[in-house]
Amino acid sequence: MRAIEGIRRSGVAIGPERTMREAAEIMERSGVGALAVVDGDHLVGIVTDRDLVRRGLARRVDPQARVDSLMSSPVVTIDADADLRAAYAVFRENAVRRLAVTERGRFAGMLAIDDLLINLSADLADLMRPVTAETIIGHRDSPVPATTS
Amino acid sequence: MRAAKGDRIIIRGHRVGEPDRDCEVLEVRGADGGPPFVVRWGDSGHETLFFPGSDAMLQHFEHATTGGKRS
Repeated sequence: MRAIEGIRRSGVAIGPERTMREAAEIMERSGVGALAVVDGDHLVGIVTDRDLVRRGLARRVDPQARVDSLMSSPVVTIDADADLRAAYAVFRENAVRRLAVTERGRFAGMLAIDDLLINLSADLADLMRPVTAETIIGHRDSPVPATTS
Repeated sequence: MRAAKGDRIIIRGHRVGEPDRDCEVLEVRGADGGPPFVVRWGDSGHETLFFPGSDAMLQHFEHATTGGKRS
């Protein structure tokens, strides 16, 4: 599975000139906890609800401050065509909960650790299905082939 | 997902009790009607770039009475 195919939720991006208040309102309105910050086609950062609280509210930053003053940058990314399993290593090596997925260098979506967990649990459920069935229904031995000895 | 200006995108709630979200497509930035889309969120007036995921459904206004279509 490609990294971009592992994304479960839609991505939302805003410009770096948008304010902290706007970012919070957009998160609330769109139901996402992280926004990509793009300048034209260029991904310049990520701002999360946690950033707004810890770097903004907790430090009494003016709600009209630009989001690029609060965002995390540079952004940890993964290519859209990369194998989804490669994302495990990227998450393991970087203390982040979301990866920006890029396609030809442009932001294309946000891959969250939650997405990997959901995909992983679905794979485990698929693996468990025959085992569970065998436990409930009982083990079926193959018939012993007839011999002519 | 391919959209056109004026289409509506609905994002289903991700948790029990979470309301659906919706936005209007103002501009299509991708090739052949593909993403990203410039959208306006509900009545908030906020405009953002939107990259639809598997949680997004597209609704053409001219087919509004037949419900959404899973992209």
